[in-house]
Amino acid sequence: MPTLIIDNQTVTVPEGTNVLEAAKRLGIEIPHFCHHEALGSVGACRLCAVEFREGPVKGIQMSCMVPAKDGMVVDTGSAEVLAYRAQVIEWLMTNHPHDCPVCDEGGECQLQDMTVAGGHGIRRYTGPKRTYQNQNLGPFIAHEMNRCIQCYRCVRTYQDYCGGTDFGVLGSRQRLYFGRFSDGPLESPFAGNLIDVCPTGVLTDKTYRFKSRIWDLQEAPSICPHCSLGCAVTPGARYRQLQRRRARTNNRTNGHFICDRGRFGYGYANHPDRPRYPLLGHRRVTWQEALAALQNKLQELGELFGPGSIGLLTSSRATLETQFLTKRWAAALGSDQLCFEAHPGRDLGARVAASQRLDRTASLEDVRNCDLAVLIGADPLSEAPMLALALRQAARRGARIVVVDPRPVELPLAYERHAVSVEKLGQLLRGLSRPQQSEFPSSMEELGGSLASALLAAKSPLLIGGTDLLGPQGTEAMQQAAEACSQPETPCRTMFLLAGPNSFGGALLSAEGPCFSSLLEGMEQGRIKALLCFEADPLADYPDRKRSRAALARLDMLAVFDCAATATLQEADLFFPTTAVEESTGTLINNEGRMQAFEQVFSAGTPLAESAGGSHPPRFFSRDIPGSEPQSAWGILGALMGRSADLLTLRSEIEKNDHRFAGLSQLEARGEGRRIAAPRQYSLSHQPNISGIMGSDQLQLLVTETLYGSELLSNLSSCLHESTPSAFVMLHPQDAARFKLEEGKKVLLGTPVGDLTLTLRIAGDMVPGMAIVPRLRGTVLEPLVPGTEPLPCRIEKA
Amino acid sequence: MSLWRDIRGTILPFWVTLRYLFRRPVTVCYPERKQTPAPRYRGRLVLTRDPDGEERCVACHLCSAACPVDCISMQAAEREDGRRHAAWFRINFSRCIFCGLCTEACPTLALQMTSEYELASRELLQVIYEKDELLIDGCGKNDGYNFYRLAGIGVAAPRGSNPGETPPVDFRSNLP
Repeated sequence: MPTLIIDNQTVTVPEGTNVLEAAKRLGIEIPHFCHHEALGSVGACRLCAVEFREGPVKGIQMSCMVPAKDGMVVDTGSAEVLAYRAQVIEWLMTNHPHDCPVCDEGGECQLQDMTVAGGHGIRRYTGPKRTYQNQNLGPFIAHEMNRCIQCYRCVRTYQDYCGGTDFGVLGSRQRLYFGRFSDGPLESPFAGNLIDVCPTGVLTDKTYRFKSRIWDLQEAPSICPHCSLGCAVTPGARYRQLQRRRARTNNRTNGHFICDRGRFGYGYANHPDRPRYPLLGHRRVTWQEALAALQNKLQELGELFGPGSIGLLTSSRATLETQFLTKRWAAALGSDQLCFEAHPGRDLGARVAASQRLDRTASLEDVRNCDLAVLIGADPLSEAPMLALALRQAARRGARIVVVDPRPVELPLAYERHAVSVEKLGQLLRGLSRPQQSEFPSSMEELGGSLASALLAAKSPLLIGGTDLLGPQGTEAMQQAAEACSQPETPCRTMFLLAGPNSFGGALLSAEGPCFSSLLEGMEQGRIKALLCFEADPLADYPDRKRSRAALARLDMLAVFDCAATATLQEADLFFPTTAVEESTGTLINNEGRMQAFEQVFSAGTPLAESAGGSHPPRFFSRDIPGSEPQSAWGILGALMGRSADLLTLRSEIEKNDHRFAGLSQLEARGEGRRIAAPRQYSLSHQPNISGIMGSDQLQLLVTETLYGSELLSNLSSCLHESTPSAFVMLHPQDAARFKLEEGKKVLLGTPVGDLTLTLRIAGDMVPGMAIVPRLRGTVLEPLVPGTEPLPCRIEKA
Repeated sequence: MSLWRDIRGTILPFWVTLRYLFRRPVTVCYPERKQTPAPRYRGRLVLTRDPDGEERCVACHLCSAACPVDCISMQAAEREDGRRHAAWFRINFSRCIFCGLCTEACPTLALQMTSEYELASRELLQVIYEKDELLIDGCGKNDGYNFYRLAGIGVAAPRGSNPGETPPVDFRSNLP
């Protein structure tokens, strides 16, 4: 722990901290470009020079390259140092195109700040400026190489941190070029981070091109709603339009970066088809009329059929506040027909996952620091992309990453892959839960044995499971396996990938309540007459769409509260528009049980660009803002229950009511969030059911998530459409040969939802005997939902 | 002495008034007669064009950021040739205090002040000017300046062909 003096202030820092970071601890910001907390130091930009007066090194040195040592006396602002930095800035600016007015980085540009701070105003050098041709880097990132200052942050982010291979540094001398070898979209699903790390305007957000300046944006700390990891983001909105999302720093979860699904999935809030008015039937009504209609109907049904005739459903998209008030309202109505997830498998899976001991639950920070991660039935890039990035950081430190999966899982790092069928995953986990007895299924003894001994020998082992593929039984088996592979000093942690941003909250609140199958039974039998869906889409999320459609059609009243035009909305008798995450406040609990609050970024309303038709704002004045009717779901629930719509009161009530949410009312959106106080109690009563053996010419159909196209909200974002694949089916080469099918050709896939014509892809590293299709909304594959047992299917030439 | 001072103080103003009685008046019969303000008078704002006849304004938002009364609003957009321009641009002259900070902030010399001062109107909407009312057909005071010929990003001329630029580098070559 060296102690040093920086600008007459004494600071003690851990061994290995560099002087730049030591100064940061004192609140002294040394100007720099190339140093980044997550990427480390390279000493390329020469801007962070400071003067060492005493100690092991003396004179002007780069503070990012000098580790702090005892006895150092550092001056960060001596006249010599300031003159040095001013000169560095002047050099960096000799080739700059001076195009700040048309550059999207303007206002948030480090080079601008440093140039002004360094006092450089007039270019004294009269030689010619170097120029470059730009590249088309795909739909997300705009490229303007003339603005580059060669700090290497982009390459270090893209290649080292994110594991991308198609973007790098080319050329030599002072002709360095940061780009691809030829034009084309960047392949890494983390490419968007280049926008955040580039200190100038070389790499900017193409979807945000020329839309706003940072000083005009409404920004607030928020949480990404597109998967269960709950990454910290800063969305920006202007003129009632959500225009971009940036990564925010939370060292417990995402660190400094986010994935492209989170960054560019913001478009759902501005979707032109977003319903913004209460609807009765398909007629637009006022809030009062709609609420009165709802309450009259509920009263009527309650009197005629009893309170049990009212079913309530929320989803993993709903905030904790909404889920809690739904539960409260169900209790007030007297109904026990309350469910927190329309997909029974995912519901039970989340309930099991939420019962894991908290000291055995891994955060993304734990993933980054693990030395062995075994992924069983988890596909990070599709189900929780930032997990792949966290695993890469572990692998860079020497961790061993093992993937056991029937799918051709791809990760941006070096890993071991074992193609294992879905049934065998469960058997492997049950074998791992008794490592001494080595009861592994045949053909898996070697793998199972080696995994068990590796997990027992590792210092910080980690089991990662996707609840979609493992199911509730597999999730429980993984918890038991983690327990069995734990040593007192080296506990084996687990991480489960859940369906949505607040699956965990729903799982905590659901207690022993029914799952949606039993609600459907009630509807089919006519016991349940009304269903209230709070940000839930049972038609799209329940695996058997035919059944859910028939059951919903029998209802007397289907009331939907949502911010997106879902399939269920088309069937709704009553509709109430709710706000998007960015338009309200609330709390989400991520897959490790971390409560994270988010703040309101902007007020809901039809974007000016849409309401003005692309022209100037209307030339009349009115108090009414078009499309501003959506209200937060918890606010509507509060109004229905006749309580005050105060978030703090509500949070204190949740906290008082349920000790597991202790600390909720003190939660700050800018903080790191707070783990729940205790897991839920749950154990499955079912016996593991393994599906029967299929006929020899039958394939198993497995539906999986994909990076783009599966998740409801991000799929509504038009900037992701170009990257969304078209409908395809994946087969093992053996099966393709067996059925005489060729890659890239159209094939006919016979499934329980009908015959689908799809393009064939062949993947060598998947399990034979299986056809894998992605869940792609808006295509023929839409009715197929992940998280179910593999279905029987057949395949032939189209 | 104070008595002498008081007498002087009483007579002098009368003398000044008397003197001015025999001078020509400085006021003019507005609106029949109008005065020409000085060239740097801070009157109504206009958007000028560059010597090539293109809009100078790139909708960089600096004028609206500098405006102390928030009377300027705009939206930037991209033309097909990559040129950034204002999709719409609005100045609310009922708010404008004619301080000139926007013209000082304007990096492309698009926004300039004219000597027009007759803006009063009973109709509020008449003093809210849109882009087509603000845009004039000339260069205004600085007739030689063209931002895109000095900022090297290849919009007005192909990349590397503006004055003081080298042709684009071939990054695939490692030769010196």
